[in-house]
Amino acid sequence: MATASDTFGRPLPPVPRRAGLLTRIGRPILEILQILGEGTVVFFGTLRRLGPAGRTWTRVMAQMVRIGTDTLPLAFLVSLFVGMVLVVQAADQLQQYTQEILGSIVGLAMTKELGPVIMAFLIAGRAGSAIAAEIGSMSVNEEINALRTMDIDPLRFLVVPRFIAMTLVLPMLILYADLIGIAGGAVAVSFDPAIRISVWQYLDNLTEWVNFKDVVVGLIKGFAFGIIVSVICCTFGLRTKGGSEGVATSTTAAVVWSFVLIIVFDYVIVRLALVF
Amino acid sequence: MTTQRGVGIEISGVRKAYAGAPVLRGVDLRIEAGEIMVIVGGSGEGKSVLLRHIAGLERPDAGTIRLNGLEIQEYLDLPPEEKPFRLSMVFQGSALLNSLTVAENVGLRLREHRTHPEREIRDIVARCLEQVDLVGSEGKLPSELSGGMRKRVAIARALAVEPQVILYDEPTADLDPILTLQIGQLVTRIHATRGATQVVVAHNLALAAEIGTHIAVLRDGRIVDQQPAKALARSDNPFTQEFLRAAGLRI
Repeated sequence: MATASDTFGRPLPPVPRRAGLLTRIGRPILEILQILGEGTVVFFGTLRRLGPAGRTWTRVMAQMVRIGTDTLPLAFLVSLFVGMVLVVQAADQLQQYTQEILGSIVGLAMTKELGPVIMAFLIAGRAGSAIAAEIGSMSVNEEINALRTMDIDPLRFLVVPRFIAMTLVLPMLILYADLIGIAGGAVAVSFDPAIRISVWQYLDNLTEWVNFKDVVVGLIKGFAFGIIVSVICCTFGLRTKGGSEGVATSTTAAVVWSFVLIIVFDYVIVRLALVF
Repeated sequence: MTTQRGVGIEISGVRKAYAGAPVLRGVDLRIEAGEIMVIVGGSGEGKSVLLRHIAGLERPDAGTIRLNGLEIQEYLDLPPEEKPFRLSMVFQGSALLNSLTVAENVGLRLREHRTHPEREIRDIVARCLEQVDLVGSEGKLPSELSGGMRKRVAIARALAVEPQVILYDEPTADLDPILTLQIGQLVTRIHATRGATQVVVAHNLALAAEIGTHIAVLRDGRIVDQQPAKALARSDNPFTQEFLRAAGLRI
């Protein structure tokens, strides 16, 4: 039987056999380990390059505007309605008891949990996806290789500014979201006919129960989530291959991984905060 | 600009395989300082892969690449200010940073390494853009340029650091014959004015004959023929002859 050959008469490689069960299980596990390994390399590589060098701070400021300032209107809208929904839902559940604890419910939920997680999701979805897509398209267009041939370190040039900007901006956005969410709750308290407490009672109860530690835990979460989202999105951007389809795949994967890791680390931080 | 001497390149026994499929099967090639070496071959023969190895963007599975006697990896590990010579590469797709203007792209390496004061960088950028006939395009973004203009900006970016080695990956791919001729003339002008070693990967044999001082033919992951450009037509290598016949060339 004649063997298949290419245009130059060279024999074609044999058609690969269908992957077995072990291969099908092992491949995604290896892929996950590979991503975690690359993420760790990017994280420690970024830490080593954090010193002031070149025009890093100009780029950090530009990224802070893109990640933070440009997200403010969206963060405002989301936080306002989250605060309002919290008040309306809690008020309905507490109708037969007392609505006087609405302030503490909204305050604690926003500062400890909803503010950090919702803002991290927002940043991962909005800025993180943009970072993965931007760096990913630079990878497939060989711009990263061009940087290397110019003796420009891609980690210092691309990752460090995004890493610094995101870890600084996310805690600030969380503080902003906390305030807007609480204000949203106050708006609902003042307008909703089903709520029978005044705005002052709402705020009194909130200040009585929400303490400085709750706010700090939220900010620590923001710091950790900023690191996670920036490292994951930059890692996926840098490992992008295969044209526009590769960029799309990387961007989706970066956002999904960010969401999953945000929730996992949220649990870890909450557990540690309860210990200390 | 000052005239510079080029750098000799010695490639010996370079092998590379991707997912078990060999692409380079033991490449041996010697490029003298100041030469324009054009590497030709069919599509998928590994020309660009070889060029990326010379630039240090890929590590070979076996074999060595030396530039002026210095192993490429040792060269790459040196801090920029300690490198004994500079290497630039012009990528097939130009690889300009889309968020930067033409002038910022050309001056990027100089600004990042703070090798020159800002005024001097502006002068160098202007000179390089003049050399590639792009005066007046300083403030444009890469997305506002044609393919040929982007290629010329990429060449200006490569020239800005006064390199001793310039690598070109298919510099005329997707360009019309007039732009191909312009790029070819630019490469020969750089050779005349700067004396840098230039390695050009091309499948356009007419261009290779036009600009190359030497031509190497890559086939099946090996250099099967290497000749001074003028002697290529007299080569007795059957693949070179087949290649010349296919291109319909008399050199």
